[in-house]
Amino acid sequence: MFLAWNEIKKNKLRFTLITGVLMLVSYLVFFLSGLATGLESLNRESVDKWEATAIILTEESDKSLPQSSMILDEVNGVDAKESAVIGQINAIAASGDQKNNVSIFGIEKDEFIMPNVTEGKEFSNTNEVIASDSLKEDGFKLGDNLQLSSTEERLTIVGFTDEARFNGAPVLYGDLSTFHRVKYGEAAELNADQINGIVVRTDDLSSVTQNDALEVSEIETFIRNLPGYTEQNLTLNFMIYFLFAISSVIVAIFLYVLTVQKISMFGVMKAQGISNRYLSQSVIAQTFILAAIGVTVGFVLTLISGAFLPSAVPVSFDLAIMILYGLILIIVAILGAVFSVLTIVKIDPLKAIGG
Amino acid sequence: MAILELNQVKKSFGTDHKKVDALKETNFQANKGELIAVIGPSGSGKSTFLTIAGGLQTPSSGDIIINNQNLTALNEKKRSKIRLKEIGFILQSSNLIPFLTVDMQMKLLDKVKKGNMTKEELEQLYEDLGISDLRSKYPVDLSGGERQRAAIAKALYSNPSIILADEPTASLDSDRAYEVMELLKNETKNKNTTTIVVTHDIRLIGYCDKVYNMTDGVLTLEKEKQAVE
Repeated sequence: MFLAWNEIKKNKLRFTLITGVLMLVSYLVFFLSGLATGLESLNRESVDKWEATAIILTEESDKSLPQSSMILDEVNGVDAKESAVIGQINAIAASGDQKNNVSIFGIEKDEFIMPNVTEGKEFSNTNEVIASDSLKEDGFKLGDNLQLSSTEERLTIVGFTDEARFNGAPVLYGDLSTFHRVKYGEAAELNADQINGIVVRTDDLSSVTQNDALEVSEIETFIRNLPGYTEQNLTLNFMIYFLFAISSVIVAIFLYVLTVQKISMFGVMKAQGISNRYLSQSVIAQTFILAAIGVTVGFVLTLISGAFLPSAVPVSFDLAIMILYGLILIIVAILGAVFSVLTIVKIDPLKAIGG
Repeated sequence: MAILELNQVKKSFGTDHKKVDALKETNFQANKGELIAVIGPSGSGKSTFLTIAGGLQTPSSGDIIINNQNLTALNEKKRSKIRLKEIGFILQSSNLIPFLTVDMQMKLLDKVKKGNMTKEELEQLYEDLGISDLRSKYPVDLSGGERQRAAIAKALYSNPSIILADEPTASLDSDRAYEVMELLKNETKNKNTTTIVVTHDIRLIGYCDKVYNMTDGVLTLEKEKQAVE
């Protein structure tokens, strides 16, 4: 550490450049991880909020909630600690000049997927809804009368709830009759027993239903099958993994160039009897210091810039993931330094001192 | 008492008809308190002799014994430990680390040698070498003579048994060269160490107890103290 730190102090500009590159890479990694987390939340936060074990959909729907269709009576055949019926339809909601994609959930008010109300009140009549508070950022407010695409029905926002987005769209929670009116219009009464799925909390998934036409999917499986969800996560995660590899290569190149420049110095030190181990530890310690500083600065910069981002950017920072990625960045940087360590081990002191 | 012995040491490079004997069969002995010069023209084998004596390269045959330890029987790791403990090197170009001050150079040795020189001893060493005022300076801020004195301080740090100096005055003017030799002589005598100086500058041999001549890989004793004086 002594050798490592004193070299950094003496050659500030050179090491600031390396730290700067590491800082930029870590900044990008943290930002991408924030984007990945934000986009994940955009897809799944309403489902996560249910704290459910599984969802029952029709077998032929291929785990897609809007494609699943069943009758309300199916819930009587479900064996679970708690169950909640759900109807779902996508729509465009408009209030004045404001328009937004929404996902309308029809639920029973007394069942466990009923959301908490952060502002306003619960729905008590048909066509009243509790809306995702993300709609407030788009100008929607309590009392707004929402005009929907493809139906004459109008919905009134009576309350707001938090963490209520599904598959990229803010959720409007209403009762089942509201859902039926939006989905079936004048035929709502005829389809009053139609739902899309049943959400359950249970310890034993195998005995939830005996109906072969229905399929029980764990919540995680259901989320992974949301359109675009897995593809989007894989893309962002691949970018992050490539950045890990890139940062390792960058550190390896930088340190190798520095090591080559110091071959003569290392040779003299080895001639004096300073061990390979001490010199290698010094290079590793130096890499650790540079990576730790770069990653920490990148971390702080990410949080600062995150605070100034417009709400339209779906970034959400998960500190645990950021710390994990920061540690991985430091580890891959140290792996990059191994190349230089091997170079040092191979230095022949005799050649280095010109003997 | 012999601190360094080379017994029937040979060093050859290449094989068969391309074989070059850089050091022909050599027997050599250096005692405590002796300042020895090895002189000879460039390419005569002086540096090969010095690097073999310092355990930096292994001989083709023969034994090198430092403080009763046979260096040729040891692997590089163990030879490295002996170099660290027993030998101080002074090289043609200063062996200072560019990003450490003079004081830090000593601190580094203190760390790797596990510190066996007290603060008072270090102060005395600085004083003996006249570098007390240079301790906070980096090598780049020192003159050639100052750099070489700092390098000598490094070589003498924690009192090694043997000092091996390869052309220690090569980059210095006459006055500085004599000054450095005077320092080496004083340290050798005061601390009862053994110093071997490889040089082609015959003006310096007056400081030495023994003078060896190296010609085409053959080492011969040229003069001893009485003869020199």
